[in-house]
Amino acid sequence: MLSILGGSHKLCDGISRRSFLTIGGLSFGVGGFSLADLYRAEAAAGKSNSHKAVINIFLGGGPPHQDMWEIKTEAPAEVRGEFRPIPTNVPGIQICEVFPRIAKIMDRAVVLRAVVGCKDRHESFQCMSGWQTEDLRALGGRPAIGSAISKLYGPVDPSVPPYVGLAQKTQHSPWSDSGNAGFLGAAYSPFKPDGPGMQNMKLNGISMDRLQDRKQLLTSIDGLRRDIDVSGAMVGMDAFGQRALDVLTSSKLLDALDLSKEDPKLVERYGDGKPYKYQYDGAPTCNDQLLIARRLVEAGARVVSLSYGRWDSHGANFDLVRDHGGKLDQCVSALIEDLEQRGMLNDVSVVVWGEFGRTPKINNGAGRDHWPQVSCAFMAGGGIRAGQAIGATNRLGEYAAERPVHMQEIVATLYHNLGVDTATTTIADPTGRPQYLVDHQPIRELV
Amino acid sequence: MGFNKFAFAKLALTSGLVCCVGASAFTFASDADVRTVPTGPLVATNGQVVRIEFEKSAQIAVGESGLSRISMIGADARTQLIVQATFDSGLTRDVTRSISFVVEPAGIVQVDATGLVTPLANGTAVVTAKLNEATTTSVSVEVTKFDGNQPVCFPNQIIPIFTKYGCNGGGCHGKIAGQNGFKLSLLGFEPREDYEHLVKESRGRRLFPAAPDQSLLLAKAINESPHGGGQRLEKDSFEYRLMRRWIAQGMPYGTGQDPVVTKIEVTPRERQMGQNGEQQICVTAVYSDGSIEDVTRAAQFDSNDLDMAEITKTGLVRTRELAGDVAIMARYLGHVDVFRGSVPLGAQSDNWPEPRSAIDTAVFAKLKKLGIPPSAICDDATFIRRVTIDIAGRLPLLDETNEFLANGDPNKRNIYIDRLLNSPDYADYFATKWNAILRNRRQNQGFQSGTFAFHDWIRDSLINNKPYDQFVREILTASGSVADNPPVAWYREVTETTSRVEDAAQLFLGQRIQCARCHHHPFEKWSQADYYQMTAFFSLVAKKEGGTPEDHVYYSRIGTASASHPKTGAALKPSGLDGAQLDIPSTDDPRQYLVDWMVKPENPFFARSLVNRYWKHFFGRGIVDPEDDLRVTNPPSNPELMDALQASFVESHYDLKQLVRSICQSATYQLSSDASEANLRDRKSYSRFFPKRMSAETLLDAIDQVTGATTSFDSMPAGTRAVSLPDTSFNSYFLTVFGRPESSTACECERGQESNLAQSLHLLNSNEMQAKLSVGQGIAARFATETSRSNEEKVTELYLRAFSRTPTPTELERSTAYLSSKSNSKESYEDLIWALVNSKEFLFNH
Repeated sequence: MLSILGGSHKLCDGISRRSFLTIGGLSFGVGGFSLADLYRAEAAAGKSNSHKAVINIFLGGGPPHQDMWEIKTEAPAEVRGEFRPIPTNVPGIQICEVFPRIAKIMDRAVVLRAVVGCKDRHESFQCMSGWQTEDLRALGGRPAIGSAISKLYGPVDPSVPPYVGLAQKTQHSPWSDSGNAGFLGAAYSPFKPDGPGMQNMKLNGISMDRLQDRKQLLTSIDGLRRDIDVSGAMVGMDAFGQRALDVLTSSKLLDALDLSKEDPKLVERYGDGKPYKYQYDGAPTCNDQLLIARRLVEAGARVVSLSYGRWDSHGANFDLVRDHGGKLDQCVSALIEDLEQRGMLNDVSVVVWGEFGRTPKINNGAGRDHWPQVSCAFMAGGGIRAGQAIGATNRLGEYAAERPVHMQEIVATLYHNLGVDTATTTIADPTGRPQYLVDHQPIRELV
Repeated sequence: MGFNKFAFAKLALTSGLVCCVGASAFTFASDADVRTVPTGPLVATNGQVVRIEFEKSAQIAVGESGLSRISMIGADARTQLIVQATFDSGLTRDVTRSISFVVEPAGIVQVDATGLVTPLANGTAVVTAKLNEATTTSVSVEVTKFDGNQPVCFPNQIIPIFTKYGCNGGGCHGKIAGQNGFKLSLLGFEPREDYEHLVKESRGRRLFPAAPDQSLLLAKAINESPHGGGQRLEKDSFEYRLMRRWIAQGMPYGTGQDPVVTKIEVTPRERQMGQNGEQQICVTAVYSDGSIEDVTRAAQFDSNDLDMAEITKTGLVRTRELAGDVAIMARYLGHVDVFRGSVPLGAQSDNWPEPRSAIDTAVFAKLKKLGIPPSAICDDATFIRRVTIDIAGRLPLLDETNEFLANGDPNKRNIYIDRLLNSPDYADYFATKWNAILRNRRQNQGFQSGTFAFHDWIRDSLINNKPYDQFVREILTASGSVADNPPVAWYREVTETTSRVEDAAQLFLGQRIQCARCHHHPFEKWSQADYYQMTAFFSLVAKKEGGTPEDHVYYSRIGTASASHPKTGAALKPSGLDGAQLDIPSTDDPRQYLVDWMVKPENPFFARSLVNRYWKHFFGRGIVDPEDDLRVTNPPSNPELMDALQASFVESHYDLKQLVRSICQSATYQLSSDASEANLRDRKSYSRFFPKRMSAETLLDAIDQVTGATTSFDSMPAGTRAVSLPDTSFNSYFLTVFGRPESSTACECERGQESNLAQSLHLLNSNEMQAKLSVGQGIAARFATETSRSNEEKVTELYLRAFSRTPTPTELERSTAYLSSKSNSKESYEDLIWALVNSKEFLFNH
């Protein structure tokens, strides 16, 4: 019954399923939630396919905005670069030639061509939360989208954490930051499938029979009156204790992480992404993670974040975009089609973006350097009005010329898609001050 | 509920109009003529009505004839009447909505069913409230200046509308960037700016005096023009008409000399209410020219306990079924006041424990008032476990328990409390508490020895029982390097001047003033000037870089302490909150003056916040809760208790051990956690001990104590307990998952006490737990091999170790049955210990 370990299916980087579940120093729990959340979640159980969710795909390093969704055909050669635009299935929208599959589903997606509000910092924090690391740092910092949602909504299924971070540890660690609970505290950190929290989901050194015996013994002697605790913590612990035993007998979470349970044809459609490490210190281009993200959402996750590739193309920018872009084209288009076929696309928002854009002028090494003045993003699903290209940079791709979209507008749109009214929803920080989730409103063209 | 369906139906048949508000049903007149109101339901609940009278407020003056008088000035005036009935049982209840009002002569004022009076014409009329022919009361109302177009005053009349209807809230136009191009100051604290934005921005299209209804301000507010915030006002409501008139008048700002609100008063201030009862409250604003105005409908209300009572927009308090007390906060133009309602349970009891001190006197007096009898004094086993966890942060040792239980000395509890207070464990435990909120955690490489030195300093201060005022002074005025003077570490960790003033206010004064850094505090009287006057005390603190982090020197520069007001740019002199502005000689350290102000016996915050913080430590709930948020709008649940603790703490010269001693010696602290039917639902009156989960560190140590295992912490000597760790940076999944704080703020709330699935999984099934249970020299291993004692004796010892008590015969039988049912003796002892530490009796201090 305890099918915790998958078959022989190998994950990215040749790490076996087994070790994927157990290695790694970064760790964290299953998300804190109150008893009321638990009951609410249990009452809502069975509707897990229809809950709203976000899959946040972070392109660490900063993808070149002018080589993705808006090719600057009128710019001189030293700016324009090597790529040509291709038409999409939405008349009038052209994107980079390395994304032919995405071009075919452009009517279900949106490209944002002039994203502003970025800081020149190699960290996922901005894309995970919409804020900078220094915002409210004295209180612990701003929470990531997934942490805020965990706080507001709790889990969909009590045995599946509402917020899962799939990013694997990278040498440059801010790229593998799956998002941070900030001032909400550790209980709202993303669950990472590689820490002690994960280890505790399989039996440790004792048999199921013995655990059942222990449980029976505990029940027979654990007689303290529960109702004397007006805080409800005792009843809560009992409820979570029961849940913990359920998790140990069968775990939706572990099943979701196990791709051997998936249709091999679908796994193939997402593609592999090899070689995973194009450059030394970034995230792997691991296409499986997008499929796992979808499986996690199906199991009940509300927010899944992951880090895809290393886009910091100071040298050989065009080779990098050809490599990463081609792989991304395959897995992102697969994800959108997959979500659509399962009837989940209207509920699940997908966002693909990095921390900033890149310099208009190509450097001597055929690379592009950091350019926080403007960036780009790709969105699909979650009920947004799809088939649009929003905003534009100027002729040389230097700055936003039309409809700049602030990073926080994107985050606000994600919150909106999750059912949160950003104009009225607040979370109290440790000083008791109500904090709004973001300062900007959802993108009006999309919602 | 004093009113049943049958009676309701009967009422409906006998009278035309029936209205039901909350628990009472009654008839009332649509046009304020006479109706006879049945008193049945009121009588059934509370007895017979003896008399009714108008609630006295600042507005109701008693005239020469003995008749109360209300003066209403101008067409915009509104007055909320409250009619209280006194019953033969002595109870009083608000009957405002259960009676009829008669106005004579008609046409001067109109009184609606909720008791709201609005003027109709100049003149004087008598309003008579009538319960029945025999029970009436009257008030004279004079309306003046009804005619004529009184100029509207923008800051006094228009701004409150924006606040009441949420327009200038932080989520809408009140946020720093405004909303969709229209910005208002947060909660209207900057009326000048708001006026500019409304009148002059956006090419004047927001306001249109020639056709006021076409103004965007009005069209948006009623959602006639699509409004992101939806409809906020009804067309032709009082507020709509007022804004319309203001626009038609050409948008006067006011004379510039208009009186300003100096305070608001809630009437009544305090009232005993019934379960599912109602009480109208009214809010009066007092202006700088001495004039008064009823602003009930324009004020904002919040309840501090929605399980106890809710409050409507019009100021009607509705209690629910819980007994206890509730505070309703009213806010108007930056001023606050509080109504306190109490709902007695009314249970009778003869078993009141003897009060031992002022603590018990205050607690029991309140319980008597509420009619909630306390539980009995707990037994010795419960006491020793409870007090050892609370003072020393650990379980009692086996020997301590055996000795204590066998001891026949009637004074043994007090002796034991002193023993704990004199043990280093007391200092360890309370140092952990202080360390976290003083943010003593090494942030960088090379900071370790300073962090450890500060922890040692805190610990030594507690061991030596350094007076609390001196403890605070040595921290806040620390100068030098961490090597010479460890409390300097506080300045090292709390690097910004703003954080220093905010931390100091929250830690030592229980005041959360951070809001006032950027805007007027929304729930308090603190303005930006108050905030920056406090920061001026820290304005001369400077740092001289040394070779290593240990050598950085902090000192106070020679100069004039001041801070500039962020809006006006004025240089502000240092001043404590509500204190006098100080001229400090440039050679003095201004921080000394700050502490001088703090530690004065009459300081309203200093001693109070500490006793409340410690009370929360022992009782799980502060007299003010959260414990570091002593606002006017967050009043103590038992003011007499707070006063008594504060007075005795000041009198003892800030003796912390004496405070702990007096709390732990009290009958209140020693009440059983077991509940009677009467006090089961009490959450904040201390009618019994409220169980609380052990803190992360104590729980880990306790599990080690009972399993015989040890936990090793990075580079700490073997045997170091979690509770004696010098900071919170030691890597431990156990401690993190059970809510150990990060020491990143001055707030105790960082310590998480919530349950979650990860905790349960870790306790029930983790390598760490299994390793502790099965450790080679652990209790399970020893008991399995020990043959000289029976299983009964060993089980009894396990119970004494875990719960400080012997097992009941049933527990003994079940445990020994389990042990003998298993062939592997060590494993069966592991299982039993597992069950004991997973039981609620173990995890909680009760």
